[in-house]
Amino acid sequence: MSFKTVLKYAVAASVAANFTVSAALAAGEVNLLTWEGYADASYIEPFEAASGCTVSATYVGSNDDFAAKLAAGGGVYDLISPSIDTTSIMIDAGFVETVDTSKIAEWDNLYEKFRTAGGINSGGDVYGVPFVWGAIAFMYRADKFETPPTSLDDLWDENLSGRISLWDDKSAIYVAARRLGHTDIYNLTDAQIAEAQASLIGQKPLVRKYWATAGELVDLYVAGEVWISNTWAGYQSSLIAEQGIEVVEFIPRENAEGWMDSWQIVKDTPNTDCVYKFINMMSSEAGQCGTSAVTGYSVANPVAARACMTQDQFDALHQDDPDYLDALLLWEPLGERIEAYTNAWNAVKSAN
Amino acid sequence: MNRLSRDGLVRAIVCFTPILWAIAFMFVPYVIILTYSFWTKKFPTFLPDFQFGNYALIFFDPQYVSVLMRTGKIALFVTAAALLLAYPFAYFLVFRVKSAKVRGLLYMAVIAPLWVSYLLRAYTWKTILGNNGVLNSFLVSIGILDEPTDVFLYNQFSMVVTLTYIFIPFMVMPIYTALEKIPKNLIEASKDLGIGPWGTFWKVVWPLSLPGVIAGATFTFCLTFGDFVAPVLVGGPDGVMVANIITSQFGSALNWPLGSALAIVVLIIVLSIIEMSDRVQRAGRIDLA
Repeated sequence: MSFKTVLKYAVAASVAANFTVSAALAAGEVNLLTWEGYADASYIEPFEAASGCTVSATYVGSNDDFAAKLAAGGGVYDLISPSIDTTSIMIDAGFVETVDTSKIAEWDNLYEKFRTAGGINSGGDVYGVPFVWGAIAFMYRADKFETPPTSLDDLWDENLSGRISLWDDKSAIYVAARRLGHTDIYNLTDAQIAEAQASLIGQKPLVRKYWATAGELVDLYVAGEVWISNTWAGYQSSLIAEQGIEVVEFIPRENAEGWMDSWQIVKDTPNTDCVYKFINMMSSEAGQCGTSAVTGYSVANPVAARACMTQDQFDALHQDDPDYLDALLLWEPLGERIEAYTNAWNAVKSAN
Repeated sequence: MNRLSRDGLVRAIVCFTPILWAIAFMFVPYVIILTYSFWTKKFPTFLPDFQFGNYALIFFDPQYVSVLMRTGKIALFVTAAALLLAYPFAYFLVFRVKSAKVRGLLYMAVIAPLWVSYLLRAYTWKTILGNNGVLNSFLVSIGILDEPTDVFLYNQFSMVVTLTYIFIPFMVMPIYTALEKIPKNLIEASKDLGIGPWGTFWKVVWPLSLPGVIAGATFTFCLTFGDFVAPVLVGGPDGVMVANIITSQFGSALNWPLGSALAIVVLIIVLSIIEMSDRVQRAGRIDLA
């Protein structure tokens, strides 16, 4: 290759690079504060190419991280995806702005139950776009159990000492309360919370590690440290299976919680255009089936799901059967009571 | 501008830059933290206030006291372990290794890990101590264990091991420096007067190296006291330390006032320890001149 050709390529490359950079700057960006699996390259890259919006994501390990990150100062994130127990806190704290649903093409196709949920509606305005949903199921290593576990009691089983893990989240209180027979887990009394707290402290010697992120739980299973735990149904189990370890998810007889995540727009975002483009992509087939393929979660838009999922997948994810979600204990905003729950969980972790 | 006033200006810049730096990055943040510590938690966030409820909570709710005690205990264990390892090592380097080249090399071997990311070093211990880790595999392969044991990882033991490894350079450096400064003729004089090696050590070397020991112990204790990474990476359910509580107050609990009050309490503890060690050092100072 002659010097001239090299020069020509170099000039062409730098011009192209300049062009890409300025196009991105002109088009803007979307900064997500979200869950692992919600910004997968498989659908983000085509979106970036088509829209000219650059997507960057920061991941949370718990719903309690949203308020904490936003309280530390705005201007960093444009879009967040809290669960339905946390969305109303975002509204009350003034962290998010209203959604113009006329700009969301798929709005009318989303489950009505989700669109009208109290957590994302306030004073006649809408503050969130329902995205995906699922269960906080439990799972175990298939090769370590002769009789499959069916109850939360198995997470308190002395024989499994050192092989148990639980999500480092206030939802541990829900788990303990259900095991104690308190089914109204979002309206526990102080006495019931104290009872759950004591039960979790009693469980501590059996716990190998509380897991904080999806990746950490996967590592714990793969390294042979943990045999039974709770999980974001569909997600970690498939990541663990990829590593050649067979795990089985189950809904214990004490039932499990359900969750639904919505996109909420951070107040005063300068990237409104890209934000709406992004939400539109995420509620269409590309985002709905893209996320479901990565995470194993059910989606909020059954019309899109019908179009882009196989019948087996559609059935397995209960897309035709939102009653399944009714059977689960869908997370609810705790209001001020959240402090009692959070404090109890912190006390468990601090206890000797 | 004449010569004199330009010198004055240079002098002013040289003096005031560090002062400004200290004000902007030390003094102001401390004042902000102190101010927050009197605020009140009010759902969903918190409100300005002046009250001592956060401090009262720290001292009357057993969960905070027990975490502070645990943090102190871990810090003490780490300090003791680091001292027991670092002192003989530094002694060996200064008094036994004849070649200056070898001495420099061994000294660097201890200091070098400081240039590697803390996170990476802490993470490495996971792969060593884990159920399928290097240590367990080794013990099983040579037949000491029938099956891998859990006792190495995700407990306070693994935290002490990891933190000792991470902070030991801060123990080695001051002890090495203190030992190196001891004039060799004092040791020879002690020998000439018929004192055995053991007596020489306790009567001459140890007292003269004490300032290094105190400095190293202070470093190690205070650094461990404020650590929050080791509990997350290698600690188990019983491994929460005070810095983790502070992060969770600023994070998930969204209680900055309580987190600030805890930070102030930790600051007071650490400053008292530094002040104490300073006094002990001054009281025990031996004039070599």
